[in-house]
Amino acid sequence: MENIIKSYLDEMISSKVPQEVHMHSNAIKPHHHHKIDHKHGEGSSIDFYAYNSKIRHWNPTFKVLLSVLTLLLCIVLNNHYVSVAVIIAMTYLTVVKGGLPLRAYISVLMIPITFILLGTVTIGIDFSSEPIGQYNLNLGFCYVFTSQAKLWAMAFLILKVFGAISAMEMMALSTPSSEIIGVLRKAHVPKLIVELMYIIYRYIFILMDVHTKMKNAAESRLGFCDFKTSCSTFGNIASNMLIVSLKKATAYYQAMEARGYDGDLVFLEQTGSVKVSQLVFTTGFLAGLILLWYLTN
Amino acid sequence: MEEPILKIKDLYYGYGNGAPALDGVSVNIHAGEKIAVIGSNGAGKSTFFLNANGVLKPDHGEISYRGIPITKKNLKELRKNIGIVFQDADNQIVASTVMAEVGFGPMNLKLPKEEVLQRVDEALTYMNILEFKDRAPHYLSGGEKKRVSIADIIAMKSDVIIFDEPTAALDPVNAEMLEDVLAKLGSEGKTILISTHDVDFAYRWAERAIVFCQGKIIADGTPLEIFQNEKVLKLANLKRPMMLDVYDLLVENKLLRDEKIYPKSIEAFKEMLEIINNF
Repeated sequence: MENIIKSYLDEMISSKVPQEVHMHSNAIKPHHHHKIDHKHGEGSSIDFYAYNSKIRHWNPTFKVLLSVLTLLLCIVLNNHYVSVAVIIAMTYLTVVKGGLPLRAYISVLMIPITFILLGTVTIGIDFSSEPIGQYNLNLGFCYVFTSQAKLWAMAFLILKVFGAISAMEMMALSTPSSEIIGVLRKAHVPKLIVELMYIIYRYIFILMDVHTKMKNAAESRLGFCDFKTSCSTFGNIASNMLIVSLKKATAYYQAMEARGYDGDLVFLEQTGSVKVSQLVFTTGFLAGLILLWYLTN
Repeated sequence: MEEPILKIKDLYYGYGNGAPALDGVSVNIHAGEKIAVIGSNGAGKSTFFLNANGVLKPDHGEISYRGIPITKKNLKELRKNIGIVFQDADNQIVASTVMAEVGFGPMNLKLPKEEVLQRVDEALTYMNILEFKDRAPHYLSGGEKKRVSIADIIAMKSDVIIFDEPTAALDPVNAEMLEDVLAKLGSEGKTILISTHDVDFAYRWAERAIVFCQGKIIADGTPLEIFQNEKVLKLANLKRPMMLDVYDLLVENKLLRDEKIYPKSIEAFKEMLEIINNF
């Protein structure tokens, strides 16, 4: 008897996933590579990955410094070997050390990659009314032209920007925003800005929650049945959210005061210390980048 | 008689939109009492709690904590010793990790960091959520958030703990967890005030019940007295607890001799039946 119940339960649990697919499939095209994203949008899936990263316990100041220094070196040295080394090292840290699935990493990088490609194409090619340049293509009313040197410049620029971005993503995908804000506090960023950042970060999620609830409630009453209705529903939700935000602000302030808040927003932080091996590796890595630049220049 | 831990005298408070939310409330609360605060929506329960904690400033009236009248200067003392667990945990949680959240109160008390860390660990262990320590509140479920919001107050080690409608959004398992926590807190001598619409819970748990109606306290006594008072029940839009109804029906139908035992829970009811059957 017990076995039957157990197998029934197992079935119920395993049938949960296809049920979800079914629920989503009539609204958006299903793309179920991993369970976690596409529920909150890209921004908060980065947040989710950061909380689940295996290198989350590393000291945040260390991670921020490593990321910023790498980014600076990548830009200042302006060398494609350095860029490639940075891309490889940062991908290694994020994917292998951090345990982020490669697919998730690429999906996070897709947004900046789109921008990089769009931005650098304009550097690689140019338009002219005359057939000039090393290579050109007649479009009828004008010529698109480029040269090998320009294409190389474009490729190097892509590498450089990509290296810089992968350094930033290493930080973003392994350090939750609250810890990054903590680092900013230590770096003596003005208190007002740090506190604002902290509160905004926390309330983004609440705002999204409230918005989802209102949207669902409107949806269930045919609030989005055609374009005109959708527009007015959107407006109503927006104005309603303002009122709810003001009400919530009062409720929060009262809850904070009830716990002795007196104008200073100080949160408890407990960060691991930096290991000597981490410092050695980092110094080695950064020195290696400079050496690479020196040897290839 | 010993000095009440919290003495409230002639409290008036208005939100500035006509009728006062609190209209002359006086009550003495003694250490270790388990009090259910009942009354319909908008009767003034939440306003009363916020006043008792010093978040809202009464229009006039006096609050004394352990015999010391509360003024602007020692307001902090009041907030330190009286903790509120708010109805909606999402309206209470301010920090982005559970650890920072539970540490928020102790940090505001300006305690040394080691002590704060120790209190956070204690409170999380108390609520059985130590493994949530590094998680973000926005990835917790409703019941888990509620536990965090209770741990918030436990970490402050307040003597008086106020729960504003704690059972409202909880599933039966979490509601049971809450009752266990309440029993544990009660056994440690904490003074607990709970506002609730759940009359069965109030009847079962409380030693004393205070009934609010339109900003006034209309009844104050043991739950049994209050739930037998038809007039009060009608005024405050309350229903009788099921156990009381069942008992009275059994007595009415001569199935039970009226021994005035009044069982408060199913277990107590069973025990009573056994005693009667053994006669």
